[in-house]
Amino acid sequence: MKTEFKDIHGALKTATGALLGASGLVAPAMASDTMAGWEADVAVLVYSETDRVSAFEPAISLKKTFDDESVLGLKLVFDSLTGASHNGAMASNTPQTFTRPSGNSNYDAAAGETPLDDTFHDSRVSISANYEQPINRLNKMIYGVNVSNEYDFFSVGGSATYMQDINERNTTLTAGVSFEYNTIKPVGGFADPMSEMQTSGVDQNKTSGTDTRVMTELLLGVTQIIDRNTLMQFNYGYAMSDGYHNDPYKILSVLDGNNLTTGSTLPGTYVYENRPDSRAKHSLFSKVKHFLNGDVVDLSYRYMWDDWKVASHTLDFHYRLNMSDGFYLEPHVRYYSQDAAEFYYTSLNSAEPLPEFATADYRLGGMTATTLGIKVGFLTPDGNESSVRLEYYQQAADTNPKDVNGVETQLGIDAVILQYNYSF
Amino acid sequence: MKKISLILISVCLLSACENLGVKPWERDTLARKDMALESAAMDSAFDDHIYFSKEASSGGKGFGGGGCGCN
Repeated sequence: MKTEFKDIHGALKTATGALLGASGLVAPAMASDTMAGWEADVAVLVYSETDRVSAFEPAISLKKTFDDESVLGLKLVFDSLTGASHNGAMASNTPQTFTRPSGNSNYDAAAGETPLDDTFHDSRVSISANYEQPINRLNKMIYGVNVSNEYDFFSVGGSATYMQDINERNTTLTAGVSFEYNTIKPVGGFADPMSEMQTSGVDQNKTSGTDTRVMTELLLGVTQIIDRNTLMQFNYGYAMSDGYHNDPYKILSVLDGNNLTTGSTLPGTYVYENRPDSRAKHSLFSKVKHFLNGDVVDLSYRYMWDDWKVASHTLDFHYRLNMSDGFYLEPHVRYYSQDAAEFYYTSLNSAEPLPEFATADYRLGGMTATTLGIKVGFLTPDGNESSVRLEYYQQAADTNPKDVNGVETQLGIDAVILQYNYSF
Repeated sequence: MKKISLILISVCLLSACENLGVKPWERDTLARKDMALESAAMDSAFDDHIYFSKEASSGGKGFGGGGCGCN
């Protein structure tokens, strides 16, 4: 058994070397030599929603500490998504027909069924690197760059963070800035905001091309050692984004009173959403870590608010129960609640003028979400750290909209998250 | 007003911080791997990505690993 694990260990190192070589980060011939002194974390995550989206994400993270105490980190993540996603329309007591993003064909939702676009399919690759450079004994800089690409989205960004220790290194002050540049190229083009969805084969009210969104972020933080067993962190974050913020695939039902109105080319009337072209977000984050009789308590809270009138609370709690020989159990509870964006509607009323901004994206609606999880950590026979995490995520909308016939649109999500980690 | 409150809180925290802390030889527990602020970076990055794509909030902890078209 031990030999077998050593073989896995060797195989992983070889694979990592090959991966670095293949990704162009390191010349192939140098890859195996370069692995000496590197620490690696590999992980695979499976995320699966009931009847909706599934994701498969393998990731590898590498770290090397050099003699001058500088640290280089590299990370590669693949992300494969399939499944169905709520398109924004209300469920109805009659069958409904929608047009796929490409504009080439239609899909249906049966009577009483929450409309889901089942063509949701994407893969994403993300590469990031960070470099930690000590300036002197009490301060350092951390630089980060990242690039990610998916079918309809490209992102490139960078960050710089300064950290200064004071009070005999019991307090650390942090100040950082980051910048992100995103390019969006939706399948089928950009829907004209608040325009009507048309059946396939006719003019789709769409414009082809690309659009951009840029984000600048500022982060200020204080980390404080309280006593021998406790440390705390406080952060303030500000993020400003400008550019295209719409979800190009999301629509809203237009109801006449409570019944779906007849569309010009589809049986029902649906309009494409529109969001403001800028968003300013603030966040206050606090975390405490406490060593309690051999175990570790990790508690954090975040309050976030923005100029879309979204405000949210996130409470996150981990309790690491250290057993023996690297074996631990770690229960996890997370609670999240958010208020809806001011332009969130479950549907629009045909008797009223269309609002300038509107979305029925459930992610911008009022909701609460709970995560319950357990992680088991253990050492493999060759002494390396390994862990398995199983979590259940349940998201519930504050209200599931109902039409006049009592047909309810199901906005909630139930998902299972399974993750395996191996460090060597 | 929010800005003034933030500055006041920061000053109070920093002045209070001078009385807190440990001596260099008392850092044994704090130096443990499981006591690091980000002791499970891989889990944390996956979680940030999941919640960013399912909820309207993000950020607060640090800078993430790249943008995503999922929101």
